[in-house]
Amino acid sequence: MTATENPLKRLPTEMGGLDASSLPVQRVEHEYAPWEKRCHALANILDTHKIINTEEKRRGIEALGSELVEKLTYYQRWIVAFANILFEKQILTPGELAIKMDEVAARSSGAMSAASR
Amino acid sequence: MSSHARAHVPAPEAGEEMPSYYEIMETSVRELLVEKKIIGAGEIRQMLEVMDTRTPALGAAIVAKAWVDPEFRERLLANGRAACESLGIDFFEGTELIVLENTDKVHNLIVCTLCSCYPRVILGLPPDWYKLKPYRARAVKEPRAVLAEFGTVIPDDVEIHVSDSTAMVRYLVLPQRPKGTEKFSEEQLAALVTRDAMIGVVRANAPETKEMAR
Repeated sequence: MTATENPLKRLPTEMGGLDASSLPVQRVEHEYAPWEKRCHALANILDTHKIINTEEKRRGIEALGSELVEKLTYYQRWIVAFANILFEKQILTPGELAIKMDEVAARSSGAMSAASR
Repeated sequence: MSSHARAHVPAPEAGEEMPSYYEIMETSVRELLVEKKIIGAGEIRQMLEVMDTRTPALGAAIVAKAWVDPEFRERLLANGRAACESLGIDFFEGTELIVLENTDKVHNLIVCTLCSCYPRVILGLPPDWYKLKPYRARAVKEPRAVLAEFGTVIPDDVEIHVSDSTAMVRYLVLPQRPKGTEKFSEEQLAALVTRDAMIGVVRANAPETKEMAR
């Protein structure tokens, strides 16, 4: 099999039946961070409003490509996929998001320096 | 979150880390959607409150009820969602629920090979291992080996049925009622039902000897 055949035959999220016999199931769990829970709540709300459903979300994650899927954490993948899908649907623009993110970052660092004074 | 609510968010503690790039992205997407009136200002908060009520305790109560109430058990197996809704449980995700009963002949296991679909409406958010490659890859290929890693040894004459969840169809395992629990109340029974038993990676807990004697 050539190097390109593998990713062609399988989506980056498609795990079923892969040979992973050398990988024992590590029973890992973590407490969800508040932003992760908010991200999940956002997913539910976007679904309820018929803006992004579960299948669209999954396709949005697959569209990130296997390299990013592997590097990002679970909810990092979700929020990046949501942003991309909202751009595609012309609900948000990349420019708006960039401006808002600068604003939120400035607000957070302002709060940080206020707290450390 | 509305700008009103935001004004009351306390400043982070000194030494607390700056929110990550992705956390900033989450806040930004949420605020933009609220500003554009795509979603309501309080909707995320309300959804978080609903999500907080969904824990494995809810699933355990359903299982215990099915163990003591044959009529409910029948309805639960016929249509999981309708039976849960009859208890007042709202299926906010719009998903269907299929309840899979373990017997002396069949042991059920649930997985989501494509992503992380899970009966969140009644169990809450899944554990990380459920979302990671080893479980997702192997559960459908070598379920007995996976079960053994959870300390669950299934005899060879018991079939293992692995059900792969989808966006619209979620599964819940109805574990076998442990022996020696004939006199247990629903609450006592529910206490034996763990999240992992409802995923199917373990059995319901056996009662402690002192409880059996009571």
